[in-house]
Amino acid sequence: MIELKGIEKIYIRGAEHVRALNGIDLSIGQGEFVSITGHSGSGKTTLLHILGCLDKPTKGAMSLSGITINGMPESGLVKIRRQKIGFVFQQFYLIPGLSVLENVALPLLFGRTKKATDEIKSLLKLVGLQDKIDRKPSELSGGEMQRVAIARALINNPEVILADEPTGNLDTENSENIFLLLKSLNSRGITIIMVTHNTDLAGRADRIIRLKDGKIQ
Amino acid sequence: MTFVSLAFKNLLRHKTRSLLTLAGIAASIAVLFSIISFNRGFEKGLSRELERTGIHFMVVPAGCPHEVAALVLHGAVTPQFLDLHIMDKLKNNDNISIASPILVTQMPNPERHRIDLIYGMDMSHIMALKPFWEIKGSIPSGNNEIIIGYEVAKHDNIKIGDIISYSSTGGGTAVSKSFKVAGIINRTGGQDDAFIYMPIKAVQEMLQKPEGATAVGVKVSDVMRMTEVVDELSQSIPGIQIVTMGQVMDSIANLARSAKVLSLSVAVIAILISAVSVMNSILMAIFERTQEIGMMRAIGASRFDTFRIIIKETIVLTASGGIAGIIIANIGATAIEGFVKGFMPYVPSGKLITFEPSLAIACIMFSIVLGVLAGVYPAWKASKITPIEAIKG
Repeated sequence: MIELKGIEKIYIRGAEHVRALNGIDLSIGQGEFVSITGHSGSGKTTLLHILGCLDKPTKGAMSLSGITINGMPESGLVKIRRQKIGFVFQQFYLIPGLSVLENVALPLLFGRTKKATDEIKSLLKLVGLQDKIDRKPSELSGGEMQRVAIARALINNPEVILADEPTGNLDTENSENIFLLLKSLNSRGITIIMVTHNTDLAGRADRIIRLKDGKIQ
Repeated sequence: MTFVSLAFKNLLRHKTRSLLTLAGIAASIAVLFSIISFNRGFEKGLSRELERTGIHFMVVPAGCPHEVAALVLHGAVTPQFLDLHIMDKLKNNDNISIASPILVTQMPNPERHRIDLIYGMDMSHIMALKPFWEIKGSIPSGNNEIIIGYEVAKHDNIKIGDIISYSSTGGGTAVSKSFKVAGIINRTGGQDDAFIYMPIKAVQEMLQKPEGATAVGVKVSDVMRMTEVVDELSQSIPGIQIVTMGQVMDSIANLARSAKVLSLSVAVIAILISAVSVMNSILMAIFERTQEIGMMRAIGASRFDTFRIIIKETIVLTASGGIAGIIIANIGATAIEGFVKGFMPYVPSGKLITFEPSLAIACIMFSIVLGVLAGVYPAWKASKITPIEAIKG
């Protein structure tokens, strides 16, 4: 489903050239649950950004569902992000002025697509927030906010969910619940790629990709 | 959800800031609407008042044209008198249909302990010179009858048939005379409401100037030949000045121009300040929402989408401000009018700031254009935000 060949990413920081990724070859199959781990600065977030078409590699080739990503213009990457990828962030990034329902429906606005309110409600039921559709983010707990973010990631029926430290801001119980939610989505055939520092949760994925100094160990 | 509703909700997140920015826009649009409306009302009011004089030009002693403008519109008292021997030449001109001497003065009214403004005129020309007047009672038929303006009658509770006495020492010896009120003019909304209209012969007697006149109001039979008539009279009669109503209008417009420029400058400055305030407010919002914008880019918003969200926020803000400004201008029209009138050397009577739908729409459209202009830079900044930079924080 996702193929990376010889991916390199070099950042220019002042006069210094930082090699964040160095020759990454990676293949992730449809329906896999993959965790990416590594120390700070190992390149895991950079890898996630490239997998999520948020950033372009300096060198190498990438394909997603048979579509060649490298060399694609920004407008094409936007379309891929809308249609094939769902993002879950550590900070949730919900819009404070919008209700739970509106936050979940936000990607539909950018995709110029419409969905019946019932469909959105059933998605909220899937993440266990059917009773909180009219609440504002400030009225939710951390775990609930992350559930909203997961529902938002699911709204366009993505093939893959990229989760960047999805439990990083949650307590143990909520972390477990979010992980179980991601597991249940995976069991429905959605590919999950999760960046995490939590070795316990990482160990429960189908596969662990360990990064060190921009390389897969 | 639409981009507009999203823009609304984003603005509501910082109610105080949005409200203050909106208030700035509202104030500047209110000033703009009021000034344009005032200027339009001014021009209309001026034309209306000149029309009410019922004459095409004034023959006056050579002097200051501004003085003549004041004479025509205010009925001002001027120190110079016209030699009425010129009346023969005016009457003999075939192109002149009416030549009516006017003598404007002030006379003490001992019974009411005040000084009245007296407008002496030939009563047989009254309906030709003042075609818009509606008179209760009758036009004076003799030299001991007068008609009075609406405001004078209202102020002193004067009724038809009342007797009013005046005294004058204009000719050196004291002269007193009583007049019967033959008629009261219905409200005109102009300067006419403040005058006592007396037969010119009676005023001349009181002032002891049997041939005196401040001016001669002239109505030509063919307006198309007015220039020809004016040229002919100017050449044939020495020591006079002919001022057409168009020149009076220009003269007043010149006097009012500096006040207009000043008031429009105030509006332009207010608009510029509010536009900068909108830009500042939106830029602040973008800085605060950098990560949020990055998230939106990550979940499928294009650069144009983020541009659109920001530009719509500014348009919603400025359009709301524009609408609020129009409401404020109409609610506070009297106060604003009073304030602006303070700058003007002459202001026609009557209400000058009125609600004109086309002007209101134009002002709201202007506020929207202002929103677009003030929003372009912040929106462009927002569209440049990349998802990874924003999400990294």
